[in-house]
Amino acid sequence: MKYMLLLFGDENAWADMSEEETAAELAAYGSYGEEATNAGVFVSGEGLQPTATATTMRIVGGERVLTDGPFAETKEQLGGFYVLDCKDLDDALSWAERCPASGNGAIEIRPVIDYEAMGFAESAGSEEAPR
Amino acid sequence: MRFLLTVYDDERRWASVDEQSMKAEIEAYWALDNEAAAAGVFVDSGGLHPTETARTLRIRDGEESVTDGPFAETKEQLGGYYLLECESMDEALRWAAKIPAARTGSVEVRQLMDYEAAGFPNPAEEAARSA
Repeated sequence: MKYMLLLFGDENAWADMSEEETAAELAAYGSYGEEATNAGVFVSGEGLQPTATATTMRIVGGERVLTDGPFAETKEQLGGFYVLDCKDLDDALSWAERCPASGNGAIEIRPVIDYEAMGFAESAGSEEAPR
Repeated sequence: MRFLLTVYDDERRWASVDEQSMKAEIEAYWALDNEAAAAGVFVDSGGLHPTETARTLRIRDGEESVTDGPFAETKEQLGGYYLLECESMDEALRWAAKIPAARTGSVEVRQLMDYEAAGFPNPAEEAARSA
């Protein structure tokens, strides 16, 4: 079963880091990703640019309404995510525990919907997509 | 460059739609997946189980705390995501406008970090590419 791990942390902390500290932190994420890959659970993982770069869109009466910034202003910000293929929630929690973000921010763990199991065939797009 | 489109909508609406409407809505998402795949921008997409299935994990001073529910309670809830390879924010916004939930909820568009370009290649991604 796939789980999405949403990584929330104080994005200002990254801005204040020296280049060495940034390299060390990214290396920790690198080895975490490597460990997940070797265990066969890694599906994808990405880091996001700061929330200042976000744009939020709604369509109201057929017209685009754009606002600068993220959907919600929060004390800690969404800074990245992993999608991991885990046995169950406990397994997903143990991977979340090992993720570097668990020590200074918060990780939300959410199961990803298996549409095929619900009787809705997966789209060709998601099957042909490069992983 | 890659963009993460996070899709927010009232999750209670999904709980109250009949099977036909749900099928039609899911098929609209599949059609979008296929259109994005045909345009060469599709990387991944996923739907998330309701926020009541979420857990949020933090570790402080070696102590782990797991709370039920999402990181933040919001009026509309994170229900899914698209990962797209676009040439610009404008192009990503054009795809955001095609997401059915843009009409009923909100879509946040954020550019992803390119760690490789920043001089920090991710070993897990390299391993996944060569696998």
